[in-house]
Amino acid sequence: MQNVIQRELTINASAERIYNAIADAQQVVKWFPEAVSGEYREGGQAIMSFGDIGQSSIYIEAMTPYRYFAYRWVPGSNHFVGDVRTVPNTLVEFRIEELASGGCKVSLTETGFADLPMDIAEVSYGQNCRGWDFMLQRLQQYFSTETK
Amino acid sequence: MSQTAVVQIFKALGDPVRLQIVQRLSNGVPLCMGELSKDLGISRQGARKQIQALVSANVVQLHPGGREVKVQLDAATLAQGRDFIAALEAQWDQRLQALKQFAEQ
Repeated sequence: MQNVIQRELTINASAERIYNAIADAQQVVKWFPEAVSGEYREGGQAIMSFGDIGQSSIYIEAMTPYRYFAYRWVPGSNHFVGDVRTVPNTLVEFRIEELASGGCKVSLTETGFADLPMDIAEVSYGQNCRGWDFMLQRLQQYFSTETK
Repeated sequence: MSQTAVVQIFKALGDPVRLQIVQRLSNGVPLCMGELSKDLGISRQGARKQIQALVSANVVQLHPGGREVKVQLDAATLAQGRDFIAALEAQWDQRLQALKQFAEQ
């Protein structure tokens, strides 16, 4: 049984563009959380806000331009705000690799599910589902404003 | 599906010895408790404890019969665990699509 989520996709953009979309607080809010506050830098603690759904603290483990970005959180939780390193958490990693054919391969891994205590994991699973509905809405809004 | 049950599965499998036990049963063939406890690098008593933890999480079932108890993988439970991860994977797929659309525009 896996304790790891691993995804991969090709994005037709430069590594720099993709990296900034993830690692720049002003850009990440265009596709992931609605707002980011706190220290969105390596070794910093930030809070991702998902509108009415709630907020999640993250601890940024690593930022390596234009290749790697990693943070820890309690997945999808709307109740955990604080130092995530003091509680069981998962590690989310983005890796960006330039392809010879142009564009980049972006790999995502999330690890550590087996370490989550029952109550947190139970809540976070439910929250994640609602969280994604919210994100979809945000995305639609973003693209409809862009094309106006 | 009970989320508590799912988390129990992941906790049960988050241990190298228990994972090894599950791997030995992964072809679906039930094994005797004694056979299953061999070469795990722990005492038989320790192995029995680990198997009991897998029973509590419904990862394996015990079938008493004959001279020894047989241990079998509970396929339904493992399917639940796969569903749980599959749901989280689907969320990441969608988030990554959002990243792609944003980066490519």
